Amino acid sequence: MSLIYNWMYYIASGGLILIGLYIVLVKTNLIKIVIGLDFIDTGVNILLICIGYIRGKTAPIFSKPEITSTNVVDPVPQALVLTAIVIGVAILALALSIGIKVYQHNQTLNVNKIKGLKW
Amino acid sequence: MVNPSLLVGVPLALAFSIPLFGLISKKIEKYIPIIALLINVIISLILIPQVLKKPIVVSIGGWSPPFCINLVVGPLGIFFVTLISSIGLLVSIYAATYIKEEPTEKYHMLFLLLIVGATGIVLTGDIFNLFVFFEILCISSYALVAYNKDKEGTEAAMKYLIQGSVGSSFVLIGIALLYGLFGTLNMADIANKISLANSTFLFISLAFLITGFGIEAAMFPLNAWLPDAHSSAPSPISAILSGIAIKTGVYGVARMVYTIFNAEGILTFIAFLGLLTLLIGEMSAFRQDDIKRLLAYSSIGQIGLIIFALGIATSLGIFASLFQIVSHALAKALLFLAAGYMIYRIGSKSITSLYGLGKKMPITSFAFAIGSFSLIGLPPFAGFISKLLIVYAAIQVKKPIFIVFIVVALIATVIEAGYFFKIVQNLYFRESKNIEKITETSGYILAPIIILAILIIAIGIHPQFITGLLKGAANELLERAGYIGWVLGGS
Amino acid sequence: MRKIISIIILVIIGVGFIFAFSQIPFGKDKINVANYYIEKGIKQTGAVNIVTSVVLNYRGIDTLGEITVLFIAAIGLGAVLFVERKIQKNIADNKKDKTKRASLILRTGSRLLFPLILLFGSYIFVHGHLTPGGGFQGGAVVASGFLLMYLAFPKQSINKKSSSVAESLSGLIFVGIGLLGLVFSGYFLTNFLPKGVPNTIFSAGIIPVIYIAIGFKVGFELTGIIDDLLERSK
Repeated sequence: MSLIYNWMYYIASGGLILIGLYIVLVKTNLIKIVIGLDFIDTGVNILLICIGYIRGKTAPIFSKPEITSTNVVDPVPQALVLTAIVIGVAILALALSIGIKVYQHNQTLNVNKIKGLKW
Repeated sequence: MVNPSLLVGVPLALAFSIPLFGLISKKIEKYIPIIALLINVIISLILIPQVLKKPIVVSIGGWSPPFCINLVVGPLGIFFVTLISSIGLLVSIYAATYIKEEPTEKYHMLFLLLIVGATGIVLTGDIFNLFVFFEILCISSYALVAYNKDKEGTEAAMKYLIQGSVGSSFVLIGIALLYGLFGTLNMADIANKISLANSTFLFISLAFLITGFGIEAAMFPLNAWLPDAHSSAPSPISAILSGIAIKTGVYGVARMVYTIFNAEGILTFIAFLGLLTLLIGEMSAFRQDDIKRLLAYSSIGQIGLIIFALGIATSLGIFASLFQIVSHALAKALLFLAAGYMIYRIGSKSITSLYGLGKKMPITSFAFAIGSFSLIGLPPFAGFISKLLIVYAAIQVKKPIFIVFIVVALIATVIEAGYFFKIVQNLYFRESKNIEKITETSGYILAPIIILAILIIAIGIHPQFITGLLKGAANELLERAGYIGWVLGGS
Repeated sequence: MRKIISIIILVIIGVGFIFAFSQIPFGKDKINVANYYIEKGIKQTGAVNIVTSVVLNYRGIDTLGEITVLFIAAIGLGAVLFVERKIQKNIADNKKDKTKRASLILRTGSRLLFPLILLFGSYIFVHGHLTPGGGFQGGAVVASGFLLMYLAFPKQSINKKSSSVAESLSGLIFVGIGLLGLVFSGYFLTNFLPKGVPNTIFSAGIIPVIYIAIGFKVGFELTGIIDDLLERSK
């Protein structure tokens, strides 16, 4: 069981990415596909944070004298995740607005039935 | 000496200030992208002689590399920046009067930010910064493809968005894996330490990165979004997407494979993918009736040719690939702009509606003919030189597989000639009855078309204008030790 | 058929993940470049929160790109969901009679909570260099306060024009500070204001100024997005 204990965060993030990819590839409702994109983004963000973690150390904010520069975690992945979360939000907002327009034109959200553009 | 961070900073400031200018007067909003891109073209032309002597490495914030983000302006970077800014300038002049669908100030903001994203991608030396600028490019192109708000535009934008954002997530996974192993995000620093890592791990992260950038670069089999997106977008945006956006995807792939990973072994596979892309693109273009869809499939074919030339890992091969990038960007932008104007006057996208336009719109049709001849590869246009160089580079490799590749490339050229000659024949040698009232008037729209045609002819007759720059750029990709030395060895 | 191909692709990617993750042990100390930031962070930037100094000082241009992305999303939304002025007025007049009023609890509670939410959001982004938080987090909290008001009083809305002017101005402040850094010391985005005493509120040079600008910008932007998504067309 110590195997699961050591790797459970990686299993969680990898699992989220795979579930998100499955939804994007297989499901046919446009809103479900957009939710699948969100799954993939969340999984990648968790992966980034996991990479920066060091066991037994704490947040890199030197607010108390006990926190010295030898027992803080890596601050760089946290900065990367800040940016990645905002980018994910932007993509989601744009996807939903384009989805609203697609629904207004086609009256359906089923990907198989929206076939205005063919060969 | 001009600081290269102005290439990113000034257009960004002008793009943020367009609503403020809109408070003063609605009419000056469409001139702001023209001003910003003119400044960019001037700065990049000033920097070219300096960069060819010694590349400029500027750090953002004043810290020393590798603890900061730095802009590496080498010959490859300045070449791409000049190309992006010039084509952006010409398309923004065209779009000043072409775009009539409300709300126009948002179009100009999005357009300028797309160019900022593309400029940032080619200048940066940090791998996460590359991802951020790549996202700026992608998201503004999603919004611009849907700009017309009609049925095809929104559907094409939705497909593009879904596939593009899966690609961006893959790039981020690749970056996360690289950071996990190396602990640094600077491209030169990773390139320095790359030999210390497990090769299967490197293969996996390279696979994620190439898939992610390959979706934007329209490699086979990741280019299902391209025909819809490039044909349903407004015409200036189709020109920018075909001319610039997919080239930055190719730049991303090239930077990963050559500079960071030094993965010479995978290049043959990439050349093979390039050939598949070329064949499928040209064969699909032959069957099309809608002119913009035909041009989009032709873009897929030409990108296949560029990637194939990139896979020939010799100095002449990469030189030929960069030359093909120039010739395709100029020609495809010209074709999309001319076709857009013709569609706007005629009102229909089908090839059969172009009968007889050679007499009524002489300048546009002539420019269209020049563009298509350059793409096919006829002398004295730029496309002739680039295709000749690619074939010559492939012959020099002396592996039998490449001979098969050359035969396939020549077959594709013949197919290309087939459909482009059909269109030119429609323009000049067929008559139509209901086009009495068509004229060409607007100077804003004709001037970029004429300038692009002149550039194609000029580069075709006298390629020495750009060969010095391209040689330096090809060497930058091949000699990664030079790149590492510029950044880490104390510039 | 499609499901089988998808499952094969997912299995291949999953195997790739398993192999790649086994090379990066979880929880091991593998800090490389970040040691420089941790050790020299307070002295060089003055901010006690190292994540903030990484976000705004050492990797400031990433934050600039992030703001641009959010700006693009807000403008893209406005462009895609744009409805002409005349049609908008027609729909608004028709709708005024049909929408029900929100319940009494929601109306009273939101009037009480709205100023407190704005205060909390401002606290988060003003203290970005001392405590966890910063411009984006504070801006999101401010926007959620505005969302509460939209839910309680659906017939009222913010003034779109002044909100977009405020957005542009804040974005321009950020890029302007960057260009000023270029003028003062030859590098884009240098920290040219005095660094002050760490752990006080007036420290860390340009970081609080930029975070306040970002907080305003993100707050107004997200509110603008919510306003665009409200149904204004049939």
